[in-house]
Amino acid sequence: MEDLKQKLKVQIIEALNLQDTKPEDIDDNAPLFGEGLGLDSIDSLELMVLLERHYHIKVEDPREGRKILQSVQSMAEFIQSKQPA
Amino acid sequence: MAERVLITGLGMVTAIGDNVAGNLKSLRMQQSGIGFTQHIDTIYKDSLPVAEVRHSTATLQEMAGVAGKDGYTRTTLLGLIAMREALADAGIADASEEPTGFINASTVGGMCDTEKVYFDVINPEKEGNFLQYIDTLDCADCTQRIADTVGISEYIATISTACSSSANALMFGARLIRAGLVRRVICGGTEALTRFTLNGFNSLKNIDKQHCRPFDQHRNGLNLGEGAAYLVLESESLARQRHATVKAELKGYANTNEAFHPTAPSPEGDGAFAAMQQALAMGGVAPEDVQYVNVHGTATLSNDLAEGHALQRLFGNKVPPFSSTKPFTGHALAAAGGIEAIYAVLAIQHALIFPNLHFSEKMEELYITPETQLKEGVPVSNVISNSFGFGGNNASLLISKYEG
Amino acid sequence: MSAISPQHSFGENVFSQPLMTVSENVFACVEPDYRAYMPPNSIRRMTRILKVGLTAALQCMQDAGITVPGAIVTGTGKGSLSDTERFLKEIREYKETALNATPFIQSTYNAVNGLIALQQKCTQYNNTFVHRGFSFENALLDAMLLIAEGNKDILVGAFEEITAEHFYIKSRIGFWKKEKIASNELYQHPTPGTISGEGAAFFLLSDTPGEVQLSGLKMVYKPKESYLQKFLASHELNLEDIDLVISGRNGDSNFDHYYDGLPNELPFKHLCGEYDTSGAFALWLGAQILKAQQVPANWFPMLTVPAGPYKNILIYNHFFGEQHVYMLLTLNTGYLK
Repeated sequence: MEDLKQKLKVQIIEALNLQDTKPEDIDDNAPLFGEGLGLDSIDSLELMVLLERHYHIKVEDPREGRKILQSVQSMAEFIQSKQPA
Repeated sequence: MAERVLITGLGMVTAIGDNVAGNLKSLRMQQSGIGFTQHIDTIYKDSLPVAEVRHSTATLQEMAGVAGKDGYTRTTLLGLIAMREALADAGIADASEEPTGFINASTVGGMCDTEKVYFDVINPEKEGNFLQYIDTLDCADCTQRIADTVGISEYIATISTACSSSANALMFGARLIRAGLVRRVICGGTEALTRFTLNGFNSLKNIDKQHCRPFDQHRNGLNLGEGAAYLVLESESLARQRHATVKAELKGYANTNEAFHPTAPSPEGDGAFAAMQQALAMGGVAPEDVQYVNVHGTATLSNDLAEGHALQRLFGNKVPPFSSTKPFTGHALAAAGGIEAIYAVLAIQHALIFPNLHFSEKMEELYITPETQLKEGVPVSNVISNSFGFGGNNASLLISKYEG
Repeated sequence: MSAISPQHSFGENVFSQPLMTVSENVFACVEPDYRAYMPPNSIRRMTRILKVGLTAALQCMQDAGITVPGAIVTGTGKGSLSDTERFLKEIREYKETALNATPFIQSTYNAVNGLIALQQKCTQYNNTFVHRGFSFENALLDAMLLIAEGNKDILVGAFEEITAEHFYIKSRIGFWKKEKIASNELYQHPTPGTISGEGAAFFLLSDTPGEVQLSGLKMVYKPKESYLQKFLASHELNLEDIDLVISGRNGDSNFDHYYDGLPNELPFKHLCGEYDTSGAFALWLGAQILKAQQVPANWFPMLTVPAGPYKNILIYNHFFGEQHVYMLLTLNTGYLK
């Protein structure tokens, strides 16, 4: 799980081109949107693409997406729940 | 005193008809044009519905009067068909006899054809016939080919403001006439379905896998469409001088910006509200004198919410009958404003209000619902036609019965 | 006004900047530091031409002391080519699945307009023209109409980029010279094709007369004969009244004949290359010259520069023989700065 979260942070920074942000700047539980990283709805689309490209998980409903993309923690939990044990 | 701007000719082709009469017939019969594509090469051909013009490119070439001639993209052909009808409808045999402007609208130019050959074009090892499509990608290509074919050479422009493009074309044309720069301008837009646009809207998660349901609680996105529509605008003095049949008057218009988000409107519909309000003010028409609003109504979550709020703010508890005709034609992007402006004219001419297909449940955030039945024999004097787009671009037109 | 171009046109002391040249037949903009203009969070998604366009627009408004313009009108022939190319490629690479929406959004021609409106919270009129060599000029016409209709402080501009891929595409249909030339020797190479370029320029049109007045604008589509005399006559001028003709001459032997016989000619394409909205650069240059009453000395070493003073400047430019544009700039001597 820790590895996954670390990997996710790197992938988020790359996908969203967060030039001034380092993985250690992102708190596992900090909100990605609004406050925290200050991401917006276009970023949320890009994060869904990240999930699809790197983890082969398709999020169809944008409303569902919002819940999954709350934080790095919630993303990691969602990825784990979708992967075969 | 600026001249009044009159509408003296109409021409169109959409998924529900090859001409204005065909469109009117389908609207009356409540026949939607939405189905699956036969012309785009896409993995979504059986899953994402579109409103496609059901003719092959060869047939379109014939209809456009350029059979056997190469280099005309589908965008151009659709436009040329609509242009020829508009000219004929206005009784203009030779467009070059009066200095005439052509203000066209396009979102992706000839992408429909260039996307098929693009990777050959950028591959130095490939040679062939495709090279003639190299310069058709940009939006000016369709405009100039249409203008050249029918002999228009005065004011030539192409506007691209996403989904509000052709409403802005009509507005710009009207302003050229009012400024006295030209007496006749043909305005509208043309749009062909492309894999590019389909994937674009799909990447925004904005496309419904079912037929779109504007203003419905369970709406889940739009269906794309294609087509072209042009309106002949003339100064009142020119129309009188040549005894043209006046179909309606373009009495007001406004263009505003949301300045809110690259692809979404403000939830309260600030820009939509301002656009409708300003268009009415310009035409000197009070909200209670509007009999019909042809809404933008794409059936995306955010558009219908914003537009609905704007309607409620503007009209209070007396919101006039309104409907989105996109369940008939799909969202034809750059052509949408032109298509719907013609529908507004048809509503006035034939005393009709068109139904908003596929509506079943009121949106929980709103107290208004769209018109679901075809209404006939209702006097319609003033129609608002809305077109809103990416980049926060809003345009509203006020089309009115001409009383000379 | 402001201009980001292949020359050092954006900063201070434009008139003492050295001439920038290229030898590969394609110019690229000298890019400013964008971070001075917008927060990092909004820059990160933007491709190059969006940054160039937005920055030029913001600088123009700063220059004019205006935060929220009365309207935003732009012209661009190609919009963000990089984004269009990227989206086409991703559709292919990812087989239409898992696509990022950003290049699609940014490929829309009005994306820059939307960004300017968003950043400056401008809710007024907003329009984008996309018509090759008439893109900027239609925007300018729209802006002039807006002023005539009683609006104030209209932001009008143009932006264009060239990419390696698009340069190659257009080379396949003869847009560029086959032989590589030094850009400062452009006018000594009357062969088919020209050199490619890019840039952005923005202007604030005011309803009150300033030093530099845009007195005339005419677009002529595929003319059968020269419109020059008619244009001048419509402004009650003769050729002798024109102190400087900024011409679009670009060394293309297919189309340069249109510029033949112009008096007091000062061509500009060796500075920025050929592109759909190069007319915006010409207007910027003309206005600079009129204000300073001198021509940037370092930029025209290969030419004999027509002597001042300059009162009437004519700009005549065309795009590959199809869209011809005449603009008249006049020095308003009656008004002090």
